[in-house]
Amino acid sequence: METIAEARSTRVVDINNLNIHYGQKQAVFNVSLGIVRQQVTAFIGPSGCGKSTILRALNRMNDLIDHVRTEGSIRLDGEEINNPMVDVIELRRRVGMVFQKSNPFPKSVYENVVYGLRIAGLRSRAALDEIAEKSLRSAALWDEVKDRLHDSALGLSGGQMQRLCIARAIAVNPEIILMDEPCSALDPKSTVRIEDLIGELRRDYTIIIVTHNMQQAARVSDCTAFFYEGCLIEFGATKQIFTKPEQKHTEDYITGRFG
Amino acid sequence: MSSRSTRRILDRAFTGLGGFSTLLLAAALLVILVPILIKGFGAFVFRETVEHRRMLLDLYETGDRAAVETEVAAAAKAREPVYAMLGAFKKEVEALPAPERRKLKSDCKDLEKALNSLLGPAPGTTQPILLRQRYGQNRWDRAQVAIGKVLYEEAYDYSDSSQMGKKILVPRVERFRGTSLEPLFDYVRDQSKAMLLPRWIFYGGFLTHTSRDAHFFGGIRAEVLGTFYLTLGAMLFAVPMGVIAAIYLVEYARDNWLNSLIRSCVSTLAGVPSIVFGLFGLAFFINTIHVSGSKSVLAGSLTLGLLILPTLIRASEEALRAVPHTYKQAALSLGASPWKSITTVILPAALPGILTGIVISMGRAAGETAPIIFTAAVSVGQPLTLLKTLTQPTPALSWNIYNLCTEHEAVDEIRHVQYGMVFTLVLLVLLLNLSAIVIRARLSRKLRV
Amino acid sequence: MNADVPGNRPQHGLQLSKRARRLRRLGSLAGQGFLLLITSLSSLAVLFIFIFIAKDAIPFFTLRGFAEFFTSTRWYPSSQPPEFGVLSIFFGSGIVTLGAIIVSVPLGISAAVCLSDVLPFHLRQMVKPVIEMLAAIPSVAYGFFALVVLAPMMQEKGGSVLAVLAWCIGAPAAVLVVLVLSEVLSGGMPVRFRGAGRYGVGAALLGLAGWGLWRASAFLNAIVIPSGTNALNASVILGIMALPTVVSVSEDALQAAGRDLRMASYALGATRAETILRVVIPAAISGITSAVILGIMRAIGETMVVWMASGNAAQIPTPWFDFLQPVRTLTATIAGDMGEADHVTGSARYHVLFAMALCLLAFSFACNLASEMVVRRTKRRAG
Ligand SMILES: Nc1ncnc2c1ncn2[C@@H]1O[C@H](COP(=O)(O)OP(=O)(O)O)[C@@H](O)[C@H]1O
Ligand SMILES: [Mg+2]
Repeated sequence: METIAEARSTRVVDINNLNIHYGQKQAVFNVSLGIVRQQVTAFIGPSGCGKSTILRALNRMNDLIDHVRTEGSIRLDGEEINNPMVDVIELRRRVGMVFQKSNPFPKSVYENVVYGLRIAGLRSRAALDEIAEKSLRSAALWDEVKDRLHDSALGLSGGQMQRLCIARAIAVNPEIILMDEPCSALDPKSTVRIEDLIGELRRDYTIIIVTHNMQQAARVSDCTAFFYEGCLIEFGATKQIFTKPEQKHTEDYITGRFG
Repeated sequence: MSSRSTRRILDRAFTGLGGFSTLLLAAALLVILVPILIKGFGAFVFRETVEHRRMLLDLYETGDRAAVETEVAAAAKAREPVYAMLGAFKKEVEALPAPERRKLKSDCKDLEKALNSLLGPAPGTTQPILLRQRYGQNRWDRAQVAIGKVLYEEAYDYSDSSQMGKKILVPRVERFRGTSLEPLFDYVRDQSKAMLLPRWIFYGGFLTHTSRDAHFFGGIRAEVLGTFYLTLGAMLFAVPMGVIAAIYLVEYARDNWLNSLIRSCVSTLAGVPSIVFGLFGLAFFINTIHVSGSKSVLAGSLTLGLLILPTLIRASEEALRAVPHTYKQAALSLGASPWKSITTVILPAALPGILTGIVISMGRAAGETAPIIFTAAVSVGQPLTLLKTLTQPTPALSWNIYNLCTEHEAVDEIRHVQYGMVFTLVLLVLLLNLSAIVIRARLSRKLRV
Repeated sequence: MNADVPGNRPQHGLQLSKRARRLRRLGSLAGQGFLLLITSLSSLAVLFIFIFIAKDAIPFFTLRGFAEFFTSTRWYPSSQPPEFGVLSIFFGSGIVTLGAIIVSVPLGISAAVCLSDVLPFHLRQMVKPVIEMLAAIPSVAYGFFALVVLAPMMQEKGGSVLAVLAWCIGAPAAVLVVLVLSEVLSGGMPVRFRGAGRYGVGAALLGLAGWGLWRASAFLNAIVIPSGTNALNASVILGIMALPTVVSVSEDALQAAGRDLRMASYALGATRAETILRVVIPAAISGITSAVILGIMRAIGETMVVWMASGNAAQIPTPWFDFLQPVRTLTATIAGDMGEADHVTGSARYHVLFAMALCLLAFSFACNLASEMVVRRTKRRAG
C-alpha cells in the first residue's frame, strides 16, 4: 500500500467509478484505480472478467463496438478522456496498444514501424529512418530485421511480429502502452524476450499489461490489479499481492484454486 | 453383407455420376472453345495468295513493293495461258452457228465470272467499281473453293421426285468438250499454285488494319478500338462508384432499413437482363438526358458501366470483408482516423481482391452485346478518335460478330473474319480472367506467408 | 537513448475546441454523406430502370389494352393493321428456359457435389478455372458457336447428332443404373446364388439398357431437323451458359453446410453418397434452390444466344414440347425489332418492346425476391 501512496502524485491515469455496459449487459462495475507513471501494471483475473474492456476504455477503442456505454471518469494526466469533446486520435497517439494476436499490416517491416508517423503527417525520410531504427532498437528487433526492413512483415516469426507491433506502437512515442495478453499466442522463448523487453521499456513508458500467466505478472509488473466478474477485487504492489493478498478471492486465484 | 456391398456400389456409382458430370462440363468447354480458337487462329495465320500481298500493298502500303511486283509479274505469267485460251476460244466461237454460239457464250460468261472471282479481273479490262472485285482470292483456303467453282458447277438432281432436288457437282469441262477451252480446266487445277503463289504468313494487321469494303479486306481495327473505348469508359464510370459503394457498405453501413434496401437494390440490379439495360440506356441516357444526340460510345459506356456495377460492388465488398478486422484496430490504435485507416491499410490489403473483380468485370463489359445494340454499336464505321467517342457510335467486336454472321451480304465468304473476331474477343476475355486468377493466386500466397 | 522521453513529451491538449470538434464532425458527416450518396446512386439506378422502362411501356397498354398482349399468339407488328399478341413469344422464352434448366440443373448440381465432396483438392483447382472460363466466355461467342457450328451440324447431320448425344449421356448413365440395380435386385437372392445372380442380372439389365439405347438412337437418327436454329439449339447453349452459375452457387451452398455435419454423418457409418444425399444436400437445399433460380434468371435474360440460335419464329410449336422447331423469345424480339421500331418512336410498335422489357424486369425481380426469401428463411431457421 505504501508504494501506491508514494506514487499518488505521479499517477498518470486515474479511473474513477468506471461502469461499462455492452447493451444491457454490464461488464465492468464501479472500478476505480490509479496507474503510476513509468511502472508496469498487470491486470489479472479469470477470462471474461472485464480486463480487456477496461483496457480498451483507456484508449477509447470501445468506441468501435456498437452499443457500448461507458460511465465514470478516466483521467489521463488530469484530463478527462471519457467525454465526447476528446480528440480520440490524439488520445490514441498518446495511449498505444499491442494486441493479443500480433497484427502487423501486410506491408514491409519499415512501413509498419513508420505507419503511425506517416499518418500523423511526418514526411521527412531522414526523420522516419531515424525513428524507425530507434523504435526497432527499443523493441529489441533491430538486429534481426535490419537487413530485411523492406521485406513483408508477414514473413517474420510470431515473436518477431509481436515485437514489431510493439516497435510500431512506440514509434509514435506514446506515454502509455496497453498490452492485451501480448504473449498468449507465443512460444516460451519469444515470451521471455517480450518480458525482457517490457523490463526495458518501463524506463520510458507506462505499461499496462493484461495477462493470464501469474508468473509473468509476478516477473514483469510493479503493481497488480485483480478483477473478478467486472469488479476490482484487489489492487496493490505486485510483491504484496503475490505474497500476502488481502482478499481470500485473490489468494485462491493466484494459487490456482479457480480460474 | 450384401447390403454393405450394395451401399458401396451405390457410393461408387454416385462418385461416378459426379465425375461424369464434371467431365461433361470440361467437354462442353472444349467443344465450344476448340473450333473458335483453331479457326480463329486462321484469321491470323493462313496461306495468303499473291492477291493478298497485292491488296496489302495497295490498300495498306505494307510489304516490299519490288518483291510483290516481281511476284505479281510471275503470277501474271502463269495466268497468261488461261487468258490466251479464253481469247482463242472466243474467236473460235464466233465461227459457230448461232444457237450453239449463244449457248457456249453464256457458258463462257459463267466461267469468266468464276475465274474473275479466283484471279481478279482479267488483264486489260476496266477496273471494277467494287473493291472486292478488284482482287482475286486473298486466302488459299478461299482460293480452293473458288477453284472448285471454276472446275465444277452446281446442279440439282431431280431424279427422285418424292424429295427435294439434291445438289450435285458437275464438271464444267463437259460444256466445253472439244473446244479450245478443254485444256483450261486441267491447267487451272494443276497450275493454281503458280497462279496464286500461296505462302504461310502471320497477319498481325488483322488487329491493326481498318476493314475495307465491309470486311472483305483488312482487319478489325475499328472494332477492337470500339471495344476498347467502351470497356474503358465503362470502367472509368463504374470502378470508382463500385469501390466507393463497397467501402460504404462494408465500413460504414449500419444494419438499418436504408442499407438493407440498398443491398436489395444492388442484387436486383445484378439480376436485370442485359437487354433491359440496353433499353434503359436508350430511354434514359439518349432520349431523356441526351448525353449525345443518338448512339454514342459515351452512352454505351454508361450503360455498360451500370451493368457491371453490381459485380464490381460485390467483388469489392467481398475483398473488403476479407481484410482481417485486426488491421483496422491496429491502425486506429496508432491514431489513424477511420477514413485514414481505410485508405492506408484496408484498401491496400483488399486491393488484389478488388483488382480481381475489376478485371473480371472488364471482361464482362468487353463481351456484352445486348446493352450496346441501342446505345453505341453500329455495323460499319471508322476507327474513332478519343474526342469523337463523346458523340459518335462505333463498331465493336461483340456487336460485329453478331452482325457479320447474320446480316452481312456474303456471310460465307468472310467466315475467317468472323472467327477472327470471336477469337480476339474470347482470347481477350480469357486473358483478363487468367490475370484475375494470377492475381488471386498471388494474393493467397501472400496471405499464407 | 530516448532523450526526449519521458519527461518532456510535447503535450497537446486532449480536449478539442468546440470549433474543431464541430469541424471534425461535419467533415466525417460530409464524408459519410458523400459515400452514402454514391452508394444510393447505384441503387437508384434500379429504380430509374423500373421507372423508365415502365414509362415507355404504359403507352402501349393505354393504346392497345392488356388482353391482346397476354392472350393472343399473333405477332404481326409491321402489318396493317398491326397485331401485338405476345403469348407465343412468352412461350418461346419459357420453353428455351425450361430446356436450359433441364440441361443445366442435373448436370450443375452433380458437378457441384463432385467439386465440393468428391474431387481431391488439386483436381478441384483444375476444374474451377474450367467453370470460370465457361462463365467468362461472352454470350455473343456462345451465340456464334450455336449459329455457325452447332446449327449447320444439326441441320445437315440431323438426328445422328442427337443420337451421338444420347449415347454420350445415356451410356454412362445406363451403366451406373445397371450397376446399382443389379446390386439391389440380387440382394434378395439366397446367399449361395448371389454372386452368379448378380452377374446374371447385371448382364440381363445391361442387355436391356443397350437395346433401349440402340432403339432410342435409331429413332433419333431418323429425325430430320428442318432448321438448325431451333429451341433445342438455344436450350443446349443456354444450359451450358447457366451451368457456371448453378455450379458455383450450389457448390458454395454445399461447402457452407460445413465439415462438422459431414463428420457427424461419417462417424455414424454412412457412406459418402448417403452423407451427401441425406445430410449435406438437405442442409444446403436453400442455396441449391437459389442456384436454380439464378440459373433461370440467367437463361431467361440472355439475348444474343437466343437471338442467334432460336430461329426467331413467333409460334407455339405443335406439339408444344417439340424442341426441334424454331421459337422466338422476349429478349430476341426486343433486340431484333428495336432497329425498325426506333424510327417510329411513339408508336405501339416501339412501346410494345418496352412492355416486354417490363415483363422481363418484373420476372427477374420476382426471381430475386424468391431467392432472397429462400435464403432468408433458412437463415432464420438455422439462427
Ligand atoms: N463485443 C462485445 N459485445 C458484448 N459483450 C462483450 C463484448 N466483448 C466482451 N463482452 C463481454 O464483456 C465481458 C468482459 O469481457 P472482456 O473484457 O473481454 O474480458 P477479459 O478480457 O477479462 O477476458 C465478458 O462477459 C464478455 O462476454
Ligand atoms: Mg481479454
